[in-house]
Amino acid sequence: MTGERVELLNVVEATENCRYCLMCRHTCPVGQATNLETLTPHGWGLLIASVERGLAVWNEETVHNLYQCADCGNCRAHCVTDQPLPDAIAAARATIVSQNLAPAIVYDLDNRLRQWGNPFVAESPAPVTDTGDVALFVGDDAHYLWPGAVAAAVQLLAAAGINPVLIGVGRNNGYLASSVGLKETAIMLAQTNMAELKATGAQRLLVLSPGDYDAFHRLYAERLGLAGPDVPVMELVTFLAERLRAGQLAFQASESPLPFAYLDPTHAGRVGNERHAYPRELLGAVYGRGRELFLRADRSLPCGSTALQFTSPQLSQQLTQTRLHDAYHNGIQSLITEDPGTLHQLSLYAAAYGIQVQGLYELLAAQLVS
Amino acid sequence: MRPNFQAEMIRSELEDVVGPDYITTRESDRLVYSTDWSWMAQMWLDRGQPLPLADYIVHPAKPTEIAEIIKIANNYHIPVIPWGGGSGTQGGTLPIYGGIILDTKRMHRILEINETALTVTAQAGINGTQLEWALNDKGLTLPHYPASANCATLGGYLAPRGSGTISTKYGKAEDMVLSMEIVLPNGEIIRTPSVPNHASGPDYARLFLGSEGTLGVITEATMQVDYLPEVRLFRAVLFEDVAAALEAGRRLMTRRLNPTVIRLYDPNSTASLVKHVLGYELEGAYMVIGFDGDKDLAMLQDEKGMAICAELGAKDLGREPGEKWWDHRYDFYYPPKSLKLPWMYGTVETVTTFDKLHGLYCAKKKAIEESYAQWQVRYIGHFSHWFHWGASLYDRFIIEEPPQDPQEALRLHNRVWSTAVSTSLANGGMINEHHGVGLKLGRYMRQQYGSAWPLLETIKKAIDPNGIMNPGKVGFGI
Repeated sequence: MTGERVELLNVVEATENCRYCLMCRHTCPVGQATNLETLTPHGWGLLIASVERGLAVWNEETVHNLYQCADCGNCRAHCVTDQPLPDAIAAARATIVSQNLAPAIVYDLDNRLRQWGNPFVAESPAPVTDTGDVALFVGDDAHYLWPGAVAAAVQLLAAAGINPVLIGVGRNNGYLASSVGLKETAIMLAQTNMAELKATGAQRLLVLSPGDYDAFHRLYAERLGLAGPDVPVMELVTFLAERLRAGQLAFQASESPLPFAYLDPTHAGRVGNERHAYPRELLGAVYGRGRELFLRADRSLPCGSTALQFTSPQLSQQLTQTRLHDAYHNGIQSLITEDPGTLHQLSLYAAAYGIQVQGLYELLAAQLVS
Repeated sequence: MRPNFQAEMIRSELEDVVGPDYITTRESDRLVYSTDWSWMAQMWLDRGQPLPLADYIVHPAKPTEIAEIIKIANNYHIPVIPWGGGSGTQGGTLPIYGGIILDTKRMHRILEINETALTVTAQAGINGTQLEWALNDKGLTLPHYPASANCATLGGYLAPRGSGTISTKYGKAEDMVLSMEIVLPNGEIIRTPSVPNHASGPDYARLFLGSEGTLGVITEATMQVDYLPEVRLFRAVLFEDVAAALEAGRRLMTRRLNPTVIRLYDPNSTASLVKHVLGYELEGAYMVIGFDGDKDLAMLQDEKGMAICAELGAKDLGREPGEKWWDHRYDFYYPPKSLKLPWMYGTVETVTTFDKLHGLYCAKKKAIEESYAQWQVRYIGHFSHWFHWGASLYDRFIIEEPPQDPQEALRLHNRVWSTAVSTSLANGGMINEHHGVGLKLGRYMRQQYGSAWPLLETIKKAIDPNGIMNPGKVGFGI
């Protein structure tokens, strides 16, 4: 059986399992934002299954509905039987793309990602020529939207005795293309990122965000059918927290000028519950214990930093505002997180809530004890 | 396309109430809202057959909007179907006559958590798990833990009189409600008395519990909550047969040991579900017993409970199998672990008093297994919600290779249900303990209530003279 065929069967199986299952509704950010059954995991599953059965067709209305899924992974993260519904939705979107029925923005994104490797700026990533033991994937969100995170990450790694080779500087990790159904483009980006990683000779890959982690760790293999990296992948927060625990890193304690909380970033749920402690430990080493959001850890929802920022900007904004509203409601005036995409989205609307947004890596770098 | 002027007029009026963003008539929305968690609707779609569709789906934000929507429905004599999580298994939210689906999920605010009275007041559209998260953050819990908590709403807890996993100690959802706000079928908004236990006249509030949207729309409820317990202790025991295990359960309850959970699986369930989901290969009747609260008290209750089980020949399997059941108690409902299409299945659960319980179980098992042997039917059951006077029998039939023709399949499904329900009634059982009546069981209501049924019909006609509220459900209007 070919890889394509296996993938198709998995996709069909997931939609067949999910189309009447309501057990993850409480974790779907879009369902919560819209209160519409159609825009929930079971709604998307039923829509795909109904098209298969001739009860619906892909048209402007149904395509619009299918493109409302944020591909945040929360449904799968909370699924006891690990149904890969997000992959099934991505596969259905790929079918829609191939039939030229996708929203126009998708084809525009395809052009930009193919030409520039990112959706933000018309410039190509610089080629990587350095080699080293540790590579740090930068990506496009960090490079174009929140560059302070990269400089801070390099500083933190230097304090840990590591001089990383930066790869994927300005290049998308492939998630965006995969989410909107541009599978071939996602494969191209993934292969380029993997080739860069290989060329560095690195024995370990560090990444700045849970989305990057999931891309290298799972997406490339499971959704795109590629061999994953043959070196260990680790989130930078995990790496730093382990060094902190081992006494190999230290931070100057300080008092936060504002009531603060850590915000679990987009895609955090995909990494697993064990990750939630690491950034909190790091933040705690500087500011002590902060407040907690209602939507925290395994309750967490994504900000608008998924493909929705392009395909459904209004919904994307709503998701970000949900997190800001949560903070505001709980008296939190400073939100701290590490994911550049999440930080960027929060910063677009935070002022209206009287909330400051701060990068975790920048905060840690400023408090490093040399 | 021919214009439907009246449909557009109704849409305009509804839009004036909720705003254009909160009404939809899109085909895909109507498709998704055409089914709930009932086998018959899912099977119908599964076979590629269309279901009756609602004409409008509206998302009101407040009770006054619901009142206005209901007034419009009365003017045009069109159905209103309240919709919470859509997790009902009896077809209670199917728009069989079209009309307006009234999705309550926009009404999801917690209005007050009172830490002195230990109550929570919330709008009816709030998601069960999200309400529980908010309470847990204050060290509290709403001890109604249905398998559907992740998707069901507070209103959906109450409207069909649901039971949760720990109802044996804490009661059914209806036992936790202090008061409700309800929009009546004439658009009046009423609030029931602030407490349920009083002598200030008849308790009309209970009329709305179990009405499943046929007598009005529950829009807000004040519920009693509890402190999160210091400990939850579970263990599992194995009985050779169901009769001895039922007697153990009876003694646990009648001696007021106050167990949180008694979950007794019959030998068929033990061999299938317990093996499939929990991974234990056992022969006999697997029973999980749990106690919670202060540690010393729970330990003592556990000790006394185990003594009762030992008297009746149970083998103590220890804590781990009980704790594993607790940790995985909802896994049974996730596909593919759950029952799923293309199988035919039905939960024909019932409840009766202890003196009739074993006889009822044996009679239903015999009736279903013998009547549908040619379909290789499987009958499985467990006893999960216990009272001082009896317990519920949560039993199911499963046919793995049902007829392919959807109409034939539906007819067979109805026949098995008829066998199960008539056997329940003939043996002292109710037609249902906690899944509600919905569409599926409506035809048995007259038999269930006998000479009292006309009284219920009279009440329905008085409250809802135009018959707009969820018609065809709970036996009304059929």
